[in-house]
Amino acid sequence: MQSIVRWSVVVGVLVVALGIGGLVPQAQTQTFKVCSDISWPPFEWTDAKGQFVGFDLDVMRIIAILKGYKVDIQNLGFDSIIPAVQAGQCDIGASGFTITKERAQVVDFSDPYWESNQSVLIRTDSGLNIITAFKAGNKIGAQRGTTGAQWVEDNVINQGIKVELKLYETYPLAEQDLINKQIHAVVEDEPAAKVAVKASKGVLKIAGIINTEEQFGFLVRKGDPNKLLPRINDGMKEMKKKGIWNNLVEAYFGVDVNLDRVTQCWADLKGYLDKNQPDAYAENMAACMAGESYKKP
Amino acid sequence: MSSNIVVRVEDLHKRYGNEEILKGVSFTVRQGEALAIIGPSGTGKSTLLRCINRLTEPDRGRIFLEDTEITSPHVDINKIRQQIGFVFQDFNLFAHLTALDNVRLGLMKVKGFSKKEATERAMHELARVGLAEKAHAYPAQLSGGQQQRVSIARALAMDPKVMLFDEPTSALDPELIGEVLQVMQELAEEGMTMIVVTHEMGFARSVCDEVIFMEKGVIVEQGPPEQVFLNPQQPRTRQFLGKISELYGGAR
Amino acid sequence: MSVILSWDTWRLLLAGTVVTVELTASLLAVGLVLGVLVALGQAYGPRPLAALCSSYERFFRAMPILVLLIVLNYGLAFLASTYELLWLRLPAFAVAVLAFGLHSSAYQSQIFRGAIRAIKPGQLLAARALGMTRWQAIRYIVLPQALRLAIPGWSNEYSGVLKDTSFVFAIGVTELTRQGWQIMQRTREVFLIFITVALIYLVLTYLGTWLLEWVERRWGVPGLTGQRQEEYGRVI
Repeated sequence: MQSIVRWSVVVGVLVVALGIGGLVPQAQTQTFKVCSDISWPPFEWTDAKGQFVGFDLDVMRIIAILKGYKVDIQNLGFDSIIPAVQAGQCDIGASGFTITKERAQVVDFSDPYWESNQSVLIRTDSGLNIITAFKAGNKIGAQRGTTGAQWVEDNVINQGIKVELKLYETYPLAEQDLINKQIHAVVEDEPAAKVAVKASKGVLKIAGIINTEEQFGFLVRKGDPNKLLPRINDGMKEMKKKGIWNNLVEAYFGVDVNLDRVTQCWADLKGYLDKNQPDAYAENMAACMAGESYKKP
Repeated sequence: MSSNIVVRVEDLHKRYGNEEILKGVSFTVRQGEALAIIGPSGTGKSTLLRCINRLTEPDRGRIFLEDTEITSPHVDINKIRQQIGFVFQDFNLFAHLTALDNVRLGLMKVKGFSKKEATERAMHELARVGLAEKAHAYPAQLSGGQQQRVSIARALAMDPKVMLFDEPTSALDPELIGEVLQVMQELAEEGMTMIVVTHEMGFARSVCDEVIFMEKGVIVEQGPPEQVFLNPQQPRTRQFLGKISELYGGAR
Repeated sequence: MSVILSWDTWRLLLAGTVVTVELTASLLAVGLVLGVLVALGQAYGPRPLAALCSSYERFFRAMPILVLLIVLNYGLAFLASTYELLWLRLPAFAVAVLAFGLHSSAYQSQIFRGAIRAIKPGQLLAARALGMTRWQAIRYIVLPQALRLAIPGWSNEYSGVLKDTSFVFAIGVTELTRQGWQIMQRTREVFLIFITVALIYLVLTYLGTWLLEWVERRWGVPGLTGQRQEEYGRVI
């Protein structure tokens, strides 16, 4: 009896040892490629020094710290990201992707992390409001393929109001036409509209918000071969529980979206991320962006 | 076999499509002999000449350079061609090279001369054709006669056993013909073995040792110039020479 | 809207310019080598090789560059991951050089073929008559002349591909246009950024064309390469 116990212990120890041995290569820190079209502030953009900054990227970096892997952020054209994820060139797509049925057929999405609404952007001196902006005969700008463009089609044009919808490659071009008085209003994502208002120094303003409640998600290859989604979802929960999430939202989507300031705050504070201290990073980032006093790492 | 035969052509045939250009041509050229081939245009004279260094592949027949059968499939034709100088009707100088480089190129790349050796040899040949001072001129900067003299120098530099001239003065303005014929005459006098396809009857008569009159792919008449020009045996030869003298007012 | 770009902005635009220049130079080099080989194959190769070269040229000329770029990028990635061929995981820059190089080689082969056609064939006969091999005749007679004759065509090809390189951001190479795009997203200074980008392209086009003209003059041969205006004065 005794010997059986002793042998069981020996075998048990061996099994555990072998198990650990077998696990060792996997226990090494894995690196995952995060692909993003880094030209969509404040979710992701390149700052004045050419560094990759933004809400999506910070979330990716912080989850990686919490879940013990590394991320390698790649700058890739928006339309190329999903094919690249399918081809295995990217492990995660993090670029303000709206969760849609079509996309969900070819990739897997994380839990939604952001709910975006559309802003109606007008010239301050135009005297328009959210109703008069869509008067028949007006020209409305939107970015091609966005929820904003779809909304104008469905809820204005298809309702019989004859506005002219002008589509642009990117928001800044639509905003420029608005400033140049070529169009009457632009419908775009709320955070992007805040960036435009800030950059226009008072020339543009938000006339109102349209609730479309589209949801953003991170995406991975169909079937999630690297088992990333549980880690991402769990990581987001942990961020929210620790207050990191709120601080990041505060930093990037506060009342005043100040992109230039990020260059400074990021330079001062990214050391916290290198030291695996996401809590301190987010807390000070929020303070720095709000113009309050903050502590460098 | 007599060792002093340089070129021997036996029963040469060549056809392009349905047209038979050469219908069995045979002749020999001895060491130091200058052979002229005359006859109306389009009778296969140039084809015959190009067959001799296989720029054109003959269909049938054999050609020997001294004791080597150059029509044999086992022969390295590039080795043979080095020993046969060829002068074209329209010179064919290398347009991107100076006169000196035109002459030097074959020496360096084919014969493996060093640059220094090749330069010496090339300058010697250019002087021989009276163009030493034009060594650094490009072909476009030379007159037709000068270009043809450079092309002769280019061929001579390879130390050929025989020189083939394919209507070397036909593309030249009349006043430039003399300088080229002059060089060719000097070559003949120095004992160079030559085969010259030409319409210059005066040159054929006064410089060459033997004349072949060709028509429609066959040799009609062959003999020393005095015989062919003054006492042709064949009616066709007489007819042809009569036409020539009508055109040019007698053999020049 | 500020009138003068900040030094940081210039630095980013210059970084993009360097990528654009490196990409253009590399793709032209790849295209040159392949293009010359294809043209020689077409002009002097045995019939099957000539046919192969012709189909190669037609295929890559028919292919829109963006399609080629994306097919190659994901095609290689797919092969790499399916057959575990790690060496096929090329960096985006290398994929871009390859795709553009293949595309350009088709156009360059045409330029070069035209140049080969412009060489008087008698020169090749003369070379063979001296005892040169086929390859020697090509190497010492055809190549030096055709390369010179091709320079004006290349000048065209250069300014064409320089602009096309802005497509490479699709696969993640951040060149000049993309840098401008990213700066625009941050600053919203649409006009100022893109007028600067346009000026940089203008300078690059001008410099490249000037360089090729200089090369043409430097290696020019009287009577072979184009007579310049100073030789004739203004004709019309």
